[in-house]
Amino acid sequence: MDMDMARDALVQEARELLAAMENALLEIEAEGASPEAINAIFRAAHTIKGSAGLFAFDRIVSFTHIAESMLDRVRNGTLPLDQPLMALLLECSDYIAELVDAIEARREDIEPDPERRARLEDALNALLGEPKAQVATVRQAAPEPAGQVEVESGESVSSDNWHLSLRFSQDVLRHGMDPMSFLRYLGTLGRIVHIVTLPDAMPAADEFDAESCYLGFEIDFASEVDRQTIEGVFEFVREDSDIRILPPHGKVAEYISLIGALPEPAGRLGEILVKGGALTSGELETVLARQAAEPVPAKPIGTLLVEQEMVPQAVVAAALTKQKQGEEKRAQEQKFIKVEVNKLDALIDLVGELVIAGAATNLLARKQKDPQFEEVSQALSTLVEQIRDAALTLRMVPIGEVFQRFPRVVRDISRELGKEIQLVVTGADTELDKSMVEKLSDPLMHIVRNAMDHGIESTAARVDAGKPAGGTLRLNAYHESGSIVIEVSDDGKGLDRERILKKGIERGLVQPDQILSDSEVFRLIFEAGFSTAETVTNLSGRGVGMDVVKKNIESLRGEVEILSRAGQGTTVRIRLPLTLAIIDGFQVMVGESTFVIPLELVIECVDVGGHDTRHNIVKLRGEPLPFLRLRELFDLPPADGVRESLVVVQYGQHRAGVVVDRLMGEFQAVIKPLGQLFNQVRGISGSTILGDGRVALILDVPNLIQRASRAQAALAWHGQATTTPEQTGGN
Amino acid sequence: MTYASLDQSATTRQYLSFSLTGEQFALPVAQVREIIEFTGLTEIPLLPEFLRGVLNLRGAVVPVVDLAVRFGRGRTGIARRTCVVIVELADSEDMPPLGVLVDAVNEVLTVEPSEIEPAPALVGGIRAEFVEGLIRAETRFVIALDLRQTLSLDDLAALAGLASAPRETQP
Repeated sequence: MDMDMARDALVQEARELLAAMENALLEIEAEGASPEAINAIFRAAHTIKGSAGLFAFDRIVSFTHIAESMLDRVRNGTLPLDQPLMALLLECSDYIAELVDAIEARREDIEPDPERRARLEDALNALLGEPKAQVATVRQAAPEPAGQVEVESGESVSSDNWHLSLRFSQDVLRHGMDPMSFLRYLGTLGRIVHIVTLPDAMPAADEFDAESCYLGFEIDFASEVDRQTIEGVFEFVREDSDIRILPPHGKVAEYISLIGALPEPAGRLGEILVKGGALTSGELETVLARQAAEPVPAKPIGTLLVEQEMVPQAVVAAALTKQKQGEEKRAQEQKFIKVEVNKLDALIDLVGELVIAGAATNLLARKQKDPQFEEVSQALSTLVEQIRDAALTLRMVPIGEVFQRFPRVVRDISRELGKEIQLVVTGADTELDKSMVEKLSDPLMHIVRNAMDHGIESTAARVDAGKPAGGTLRLNAYHESGSIVIEVSDDGKGLDRERILKKGIERGLVQPDQILSDSEVFRLIFEAGFSTAETVTNLSGRGVGMDVVKKNIESLRGEVEILSRAGQGTTVRIRLPLTLAIIDGFQVMVGESTFVIPLELVIECVDVGGHDTRHNIVKLRGEPLPFLRLRELFDLPPADGVRESLVVVQYGQHRAGVVVDRLMGEFQAVIKPLGQLFNQVRGISGSTILGDGRVALILDVPNLIQRASRAQAALAWHGQATTTPEQTGGN
Repeated sequence: MTYASLDQSATTRQYLSFSLTGEQFALPVAQVREIIEFTGLTEIPLLPEFLRGVLNLRGAVVPVVDLAVRFGRGRTGIARRTCVVIVELADSEDMPPLGVLVDAVNEVLTVEPSEIEPAPALVGGIRAEFVEGLIRAETRFVIALDLRQTLSLDDLAALAGLASAPRETQP
């Protein structure tokens, strides 16, 4: 049974190797002979032979052996790989495949096609002919006892030679490997300057086994190839033989400088040496295995390498220095890992579910009134909260990603306009949600272009106004109470309030007798179509596509406002929520309906009773505060005897109050968009799922504040017109 | 399998029949994702009556519509057998499912093409474009609805927008 499995494995392996062989042959045919391809063919044939030998599938062994001998000739260059030879090799691989098929069919004792085999063997032997005889003599000569050190070459030993120390295993000949063929192949890579044969292991004559190899070699080798290539020569005997390769002295210096120059932060000592070329990965494995076998405490790898004479001391020292540098550097550098956005989104969705499930557990714990349960669920919510925050920061990226395209843009546009404009960027490391970064880029570009085109004056005009000739454009970002604020400021001439107001009145956006604050006037430039021909743009300010900018920002639940002082400049301030996914919510109720207010926007909660609430304005610590009642706003059924509460909310610089029936407290809310069906709903920005599974609506605070202020402004205007504000009603 | 492929390959078609305001209606089974018991929903203020609100369907917020209002027959009352049929109308993935409030769910009808009759101009006061056909089932007729028409998103959104048009606060 086991034999059958092994046989199947052999067949499988042989087929894969044959495929590799064929690929290599075809590659040679298409692109010409390369040492790698020839090696691949040789390796395949050799491995098939070896595996078949284990099972004593002699037909395949004997055939492959002849093919391999011929390939050895090709490899060391004595036989040119020409077209007829290619054809022959392909046919040989076909025949080996047939032999493999026979093994699979359990007919390995029958030659599948004796005629074909004979023809192929004749062809191979004809090619080998002469050299074959030579191999035979060498083979017999090698194990011959030699009484003294044999010096083959008289050339002086140069210090710029590789030094190879070879101790073949005694079984090397039994494994079908001939040390001489390795030396001959080595000869094709460079010049064997000096070779010393060491017969020290040779036993007395009566213990001598003709099939064992007792010889060692010390070789000085002059070559331009790298260590990996030299090691590759001995690939087939590396496992059971002792092969040491010492670099030329010149190379030592080279390794040291190479290791020093490695660009990436260095990791393990072994890896550094391999990257520097002082050690091959094969050697590293051997040493690591040896290190593992050492008694505890194991010697450091560097010591082992020097002891094993694999790497000179100086090279190890250089690598150690590099390793230390790497560690120091790593401590400072940020490490990054690339993650697909989809995976992150999936994680954040899951965290959202976790938050909801956690809220449900909490609710249950409170209902059960079991102190232990409550405690556990409290600990759980704390953890969930931390996981939520950590997960959300994964999606946070520095706004610098958006800012970094502007130096180029500013440079190009200022040339185009013939203005001298300097860009100053601050707060580039302020973080915000990745999904917003992408959508922020276009609006910012629009604002920057506008500021340069219309905000900053020409050099001449600036000098006349007594300003520095060069204008300055500032990009700034910072965090403020749960929002990120992005400012684009210029030191140009500022918006012309009167012109904008005039234009607004012309277009019917403003009543002629209406009193507007500066910010209300400036907000007019966000009106669609405010900037068509003959508009403010020609005279003083912005307007081109500012309505689009506003729309884009609002789609991110953000807000944009303009600050401007005549002659001193303009600032466009964009305020965005930090994240679009999960928020801390403050739960309130009106009648049976539950609403959620983003906690970051809640300033305080006040009992309404006892306050003068006429005209929808309440005096809070001496300051008037506009407010609105959710019940009236949303047409909810009236209720009697409720002690109303006032929730003071703030967004940006504006505050307003929201009157509700009951305050329910904080909870984590996963924002669920309501979808396009509810796009038009005002005062509601989304929904979330409560612990008990019900859906609650999230209030759109900026919208509510705007409405409350508008109502107040209308009132104030009305009051001013009649000059007796205390006695006028709202409607 | 998409709705369209079922639609064309099968010769017999399956409909889910349900009662609403005392009448029998049916929907192609392929459009029905699931049926859930009515356990309450969250009303959204300032929306037209036929948009009854939203409910939580395993973490997704699903809008629920009241067909009776859409057909001009007043609000569907909530009773013991009231159900919400969750339907998926779009072929694309990004169209969210919708919930349809019904008085009771009855059975699945297997219908030969010959058993469906074209709808007359006005069936029980319901606009013809909302009706796919009339299914002859034993002694009675069941109105097969064309939900794509009845619940066309654009229409609904436009209506929703109309209802929540600017409304000033009243002091």
